[in-house]
Amino acid sequence: MTKIPVVYVKGQYNHLIVRNLKELGVESKLLTPSVPLEQLESMNPDALVMGGGPQSVRSLDHLTGELADAARLIRQARLPMLCICVTHQLLATAFGGVTGAARKPEFGPVEISVIEEGRILEGLKPSFTAWESHNDEVVKAPEGFHVLAKSDNCAIEAMRHDNSPVFGVQFHPEVSHTLKGVDLFKNFLHIVEEHKRT
Amino acid sequence: MGKRLSVAFQGFHPSSFLSEETARLRELAQDKKVISAVSGGVDSTVATLVAREALGDRLFPVMLDTGFLRVGEPERVKERLGMSPTSLKVRLVHASGRFLASVRGKGTAEEKREKFRETFYQVLKEEAEREGCEYILQGTIAPDWIETQGGIKTQHNILEQVGIDPASTYGFKIIEPLSDLYKDQVRMLGRHLNLPSELSERQPFPGPGLLVRCIGNVTKEKIRVLKEATKMVETSLAPFNYEQYFAAVIENKFAKGHSLETVSETASEALGLPKSEVHADVFEDRVTGVKGDQRCYGLLAGVKLSEESRETYGWLQDRLRQLQAGIVEKFPDITRVAMLVKERRGGGPLSILVRAVSTRDFMTAAVSPVPWKILKDIGQQVLKEETVSRVYYDITPKPPGTIEFE
Repeated sequence: MTKIPVVYVKGQYNHLIVRNLKELGVESKLLTPSVPLEQLESMNPDALVMGGGPQSVRSLDHLTGELADAARLIRQARLPMLCICVTHQLLATAFGGVTGAARKPEFGPVEISVIEEGRILEGLKPSFTAWESHNDEVVKAPEGFHVLAKSDNCAIEAMRHDNSPVFGVQFHPEVSHTLKGVDLFKNFLHIVEEHKRT
Repeated sequence: MGKRLSVAFQGFHPSSFLSEETARLRELAQDKKVISAVSGGVDSTVATLVAREALGDRLFPVMLDTGFLRVGEPERVKERLGMSPTSLKVRLVHASGRFLASVRGKGTAEEKREKFRETFYQVLKEEAEREGCEYILQGTIAPDWIETQGGIKTQHNILEQVGIDPASTYGFKIIEPLSDLYKDQVRMLGRHLNLPSELSERQPFPGPGLLVRCIGNVTKEKIRVLKEATKMVETSLAPFNYEQYFAAVIENKFAKGHSLETVSETASEALGLPKSEVHADVFEDRVTGVKGDQRCYGLLAGVKLSEESRETYGWLQDRLRQLQAGIVEKFPDITRVAMLVKERRGGGPLSILVRAVSTRDFMTAAVSPVPWKILKDIGQQVLKEETVSRVYYDITPKPPGTIEFE
């Protein structure tokens, strides 16, 4: 059975990610970000998903304990990774990109335009509706990442690392109102399966 | 909701959940007695039935009449749960005086919720002592602890998760058999336990009841009008199968300082209507919302269109969504937007809000497209109440709103 823990950074929808993964036949549970790397490795996970949360990550200097720990995991864990909402922003900041206040924050339904499917958004071209809740956004993707999707208000709705299976999405694929969110999780599972084989 | 609802729930099997959970409950309670707080809602009913499978007659169901229940509800629930197949012998505890006294003079949502919680456990503790119970069983589900832990709102049934140790504070321990489940999974479990659909599919009703739909200060008149409006809204909207639909009451006191002109202007821009046809009020009493995963105890904007435009735009859900998004994106302290359905000039000091949403798990919610004609009918009926002068339709999804108002 594929094993994918979900890193809990106090977002309301983190537990829904666990539910989504379980419904797709994955073994999953919430994990606190302070888990030491050795302990994480001893669990033999196949990938990590990181959820959203209420904090701001415009600078790495004033991170809450949870997000400082999450940033450490993002840098150290050599696993396929899907980062959602605030951890998508954290992924950007941690690798030298820029997170700032959104020109127009987004709450509720948003139309996402797919620029490039990049495997994680496979089958979702040209666009789909996703639900969001954010005051900040990724303003500049870090070097080594490229942008996969945008919306009217936000230029970086999804990004991926050029050569490793690391992804960030600003929207919430885990909430039931994002009807095609389950496709994104399925795509991620295919990527994880493939990574396992190599 | 469409497609997502038909996806097989591979992760949840009612029968294996039931056998694991009853074994765990037997192990946990040993030979001790357990009191169970029921409300007639699906969560507490299913939790109680699961516990009865495990504990048999060592389980004592009680229902607290808090005074914030719907007209005739305490008696109706007691009678319904007493019938087959649930056959639960529920003891009704009358405590409305104590609950009303505890929230009197409390104007903010969190103060009211905390006072309610205090009284709730105080009364329950007395009942537990009377029956010699060491454990309290409750129907807490996943969104309850998630929202409390995330600081979105204090759910009345959450103690341990916010650092209150029930054993030292109240002298009892808590059992929560459903705490990992979402509402739709609880309903599946209910169907598996042969719960009749009027109970398993019942729309949710919050623990603090009408208290959290009585925005701001609690007065007897506000509660009375709210009970009447609740009856009217529930009767009118019952045929539509929305997951949740109800009424709320707010006083017509308006925030000063907020530049009304700019809110009105944003509203007219969002709708593409001339300024003269759009007017916005911002209410003084605050309402709960969630923006960027953070609690936002913000303001409610009430938008009034000229009567003619109202007739057109009332039917256009997409335009109403743009109206709501335009205002909430621009003003960080405005959380929710409602659209005026009907008003009575020179009427009383209260407004009634109509809320209807579609949702699977109550974590996100879309505004249900209530036909404009139905809204007008509700408005017509509600305005017969002397103390009400306006009726609004809440057009805010969750996020940025929450489903309830406080």
